[in-house]
This record gives sequence, structure tokens and C-alpha cells, in this order.
Amino acid sequence: MLAKYVARRFFASIVVVLGVTLITLVLMDRTRGTYVPGIDLNPALRPEDIARLRADLGLDRPFYIWYITWIWGVLHGDFGRSMIDGSTVMSHILDRLPNTLELTGTAILIGVLISIPVGVIGALRHGSKTDHTMTVVSVAGFAVPQFWMGLILILIFSVTLEQHGLPWLPSSGAYSAVNGGDFIDRVEHLILPATVLSFFYTSTWSRFIRSSMLEVLSQDYIRTARAKGMSERRVVYLHGLRNALIPLVTLIGLELPGLVSGGLVVEVVFGWPGIGKLAFERALQYDYTTVMGVTFFATMLVIAGNLLADLLYGVLDPRIRFA
Amino acid sequence: MIGPSRVAELDMPGAAIEGSSTRPAQSYWNESWERLRANRIGIMAGALIVVFALIAVLAPVFSAVLTHYEPQTIDLSKTFSPPGSGHLLGSDELGRDTLTRLIWGARVTLGVALLTVAVSLTVGTAVGMMAGYYGGWFDDVLMRLVDTVLAIPAIFLFILMSILFKPTPVSLALIIASVGWGQVARLVRGEVLSVKQRDFILATRSIGARHLRLMARHLLPNVLPVLIVAASLGVGQIILIEAALDFLGLGIQPPTASWGNMLTNAESYFFHSVWLVYFPGVMIFVTVLASNVFGNAIRDAFDPRLK
Repeated sequence: MLAKYVARRFFASIVVVLGVTLITLVLMDRTRGTYVPGIDLNPALRPEDIARLRADLGLDRPFYIWYITWIWGVLHGDFGRSMIDGSTVMSHILDRLPNTLELTGTAILIGVLISIPVGVIGALRHGSKTDHTMTVVSVAGFAVPQFWMGLILILIFSVTLEQHGLPWLPSSGAYSAVNGGDFIDRVEHLILPATVLSFFYTSTWSRFIRSSMLEVLSQDYIRTARAKGMSERRVVYLHGLRNALIPLVTLIGLELPGLVSGGLVVEVVFGWPGIGKLAFERALQYDYTTVMGVTFFATMLVIAGNLLADLLYGVLDPRIRFA
Repeated sequence: MIGPSRVAELDMPGAAIEGSSTRPAQSYWNESWERLRANRIGIMAGALIVVFALIAVLAPVFSAVLTHYEPQTIDLSKTFSPPGSGHLLGSDELGRDTLTRLIWGARVTLGVALLTVAVSLTVGTAVGMMAGYYGGWFDDVLMRLVDTVLAIPAIFLFILMSILFKPTPVSLALIIASVGWGQVARLVRGEVLSVKQRDFILATRSIGARHLRLMARHLLPNVLPVLIVAASLGVGQIILIEAALDFLGLGIQPPTASWGNMLTNAESYFFHSVWLVYFPGVMIFVTVLASNVFGNAIRDAFDPRLK
């Protein structure tokens, strides 16, 4: 049953991946049909040189031929070379991936660690001052633009602190070139962007945990557990929290594509050399192959995230059956 | 964006509905309206949105009477004036009046958000309703299309499309709606699938109602509450996306003022003109906050599934 379910999802996913990459390519192709990447760096090129360059990059062929060639390459694990600098797309992605994982991984971890206690306390002290305060903070978390929060944090913790001669936090990059990026240095660079990202995750997840905890605690089996004299602590943590966390699994699974694209704005604001920033810069430069590679990668993450969330859901909640 | 988003789980304290009255049964709409009116925080947030909308509509009046500046008037002799007598909220690097630009920026923000919601709802409802109503292979094809649209990392799509179509308020709204309709379609399809099983649909069909009439007169009104809720919860998200695109330089282009593109050069204001960083961000924050709170009030009042 499960194997059949996964197989069906797998084939549906292939359709989606083909659709997404095709849409991406058509958009880029329509954007600049005659463009040769890097051409503006050398205005002295003759038309025949440009034609030769276009032929080398495969841009003289119609986009569907280009697409089939690209898919053929991907099936053989070859994502091609960047049209801007000639190095392989894979090397670009692998180069940026650790930075992105470092940032989003930290943010997700902080988000989980804060949102679970916040959500549980909110549910247990439902309607109290603490609950209200936490609600207001998380409602604010939904409404604050990430890029603006980033700017304000830079203004406070980098600019103002430095102006007053106080210790300040770096505002850009993942490590400094001077002292070689040791552990402390990387952590210092990580603090501000991770704060922005995790603030968003925390406000989202803590609300979900609060409401799912409230729902679970009103169930009959919780009343049964209390009635048979189980300690409140065991009721809340063993029976309550375990079931209340199920929706969180889905949420984190759905956040998996955010590993690549969710942090894009934050990466741009903080000059964080991650995959999102790579995609942003390369899209502006019409680097077809790199953008296609990153899009493919990000789409795979979306699909994997959805599937993983659904499967984990079934593991955690035996009531769910796959059909 | 639009649909059962994260915001859907955000309920305000104090937004609880007062004990139900003992009056006889009312229509769904009366009842929902009563519930909405009982929610003071929600009504306040709604009133704030209305005020912003009025300011946006009356922007020319405000800049003529209140600020005496045009949003794009450049005055290089008065760059970076601090907030005060000449410029109420200061001026930017080209000597343009910040308050005037904020007022005109409200037009862009609210206009784009409104148009995006309208387009997403129209397209999403049409697709979702046809998929749910006709079912079969037609449903499969449409839903695979929706899956594809929703699987594209939205921000990449926005970047590519705003390079392709020069962003104006209208094209920007269409760009954002090109993803937003997918979630609406899913929502509507699910709703239609359940409504069309009910007896009254069978009865309507048996007296010879045509497909179009069935969808427009009988299915649509039953889907409407879900649509209202989705729309009111989606506005805040759309404003945030639009502001981020403007900030990245992919949305509304200067010299047209928008709250997002007023922050594009924010780094260069850090050392002397900090107010230029504060004001547009505060405006975005307050507007999104008000729309989220109002959206939640709407959901609490109108969502039939919450009863």
C-alpha cells in the first residue's frame, strides 16, 4: 500500500519537475532571446563572434531542443556549466549549499526550540497575560517585513554599536576574510540573519503548537488520562504534547524548500553567500544554466518536503492510512 | 499567500465572541455580521485599513493641502532634511518629501494588493470550480497544473517574471497572482467536491438546471464564505511579498514611490538619515498587522467550518 502510494507520488512529481523547469526556461528564453551572457563586458565583439558564442552556449537552437539536451544532461547527473563563468553549476551549488544550510538550519533549530515551549505555555495558560503577550509578539512576527527587520538589526547592532565604540556584530557575509573564518567569527556573522529568519519561524510555529495543543487537551483521551489519576505533567507531556507536535512535522517538512528560497531575501540583505543569493544574482544576469540548476534543486526540495511531511505524519499518527 | 496559510492559525485574544443571543435563527450573513461587529479589535483594524485606503485614494488632495509637495519633485538643495517644519517627515537623497511619498506609496501597496486578490480569486475560483464540478481527467489535468505552479519556488518565479515584464502596479499584481490562484483553486475544488454531493444539487439537476447555472447560482454561494476568509487572510501576505520585491528592485520602479522601493537604498541612510529607514517599514508593518488582525476577525465571523 505504502509502496504504491510512494510510487504514485513519484510519478506525479516527475510531471511537476518537468513543468517547473519548462516554465522557468520559457520565461528566461522569452526574457532575452538574443542575449549572450557576459556580452556587455566586451563591447568590442563583432557580430560573428557573438553568433559563435551563442552557438557554443546552445542559444542558437530553439528552447525545446535546449531543454531536451538539458534534461538529458540532468538524467546523467550533469547540470552543465554556468554561462557566466564556465564553472559547473554543480560546483556553484555545492559551494553555496553549506552556507545556506548553516543559516536556515540554525534558524529552524532555534525556531523549534523556542516555539515548542512558547506554544505549550500559551495553551496551558490559555487566556493569561503571558499568553496574550506571546500572541502579540507572534502576530507582530507575521506582519514585520523580513528585509526591514534585517535593516533595523543592522542599524542597531552593527552601525549604532560601532559608532558608540561598543562591540558590534558583522552585518554582511558568512565569515570575514581577515581572520579566516574560525568558529567564533562564523557565529558572529550568523547571529543577525539567523535572528530574522528564526523570528519568522517561531511566530508561525508557536501559534500552531498552541492551537493544536489546545485542541488535543480537549480530547476525550486526555480526560480519561486525568480521570485515571495520571499526573498532570505526564498528561501534558506524554499524551498532550506528543500528539500536538504532529502538525509541526508537516510545517517543518513544508519549510524544506525554504532551505533554498525562503531565506533569499534575508541572504540578499545580509550578503549571505547562499543558494538564494546565487539564484537572485544569476537570474539578473540571465545565467540560464545556473538558474535552471537551482530551480531544479529547489523544486526537488519542495516535492521531497511534501512527501516527507506526509510520510512522517503517517508514522507519528497511526490513524492515517495511505491510499 | 491566499488560502489556508500560516496566518490561519493566528487568533487574537479578546476576539472571542460574546455568548450567543437567544433570538430566533438568523441568516448566515446576518449572524456573521453580528459576530464581526462584536469583535472590537477586529473592527478597529478594519477601520484603520479603511483610513489608509481613503488616504491612498485622496493622495492628490493630501499632497496639495497637507504637504504642499509632489511625490516626485526633486530639490537638490534640500537633500536629507531631518523631519521638521519644511518637510514633516524629512526628505530623501533627492530632496523629495518623505510624507508625500509615503502617502502616494499607499496607493501602490493597497492597489496592488487589491488587484492581486481580485485576480487570484477570479482565476482560482473558475479553475477550482470546474475541476471539482466536472472531475475525471479534466480535474487531474487542472490539479497537476496547480501542483506545478505551487511547486515552483515562488520567489524565483517572481524574479524571472519581473525581469520579463517591466513591473508596473498592474503587471506586478498579475505576477503575484500567477502563484496566488493555485491555492485558491485547491481550496475551492475541495469545497465544491463536498457541496456537490449534497441533495439539493441533485434536486436542482433533476429539475433540469444547466451546468453553468448550477455552478453560478448554487455552488458559488456555498463556496463564498471560504473565499471571503481566504481573501482577507491573503492581503497581508501579498503586501509583504510586494514590498520585498520592490525592495529587491524587482517591483515598482523609481521614481514611482512605493514603501518597498523607498528602502532599496536604506544602507546609505544608516549614518545620517535614519528616519528614512524607519518610516516606510513602519507603514508596511502597521498595514500588514491591521490586515492580518482584520482577516482573523473575518475568519472568526464568517468561516462556516469554525462553528
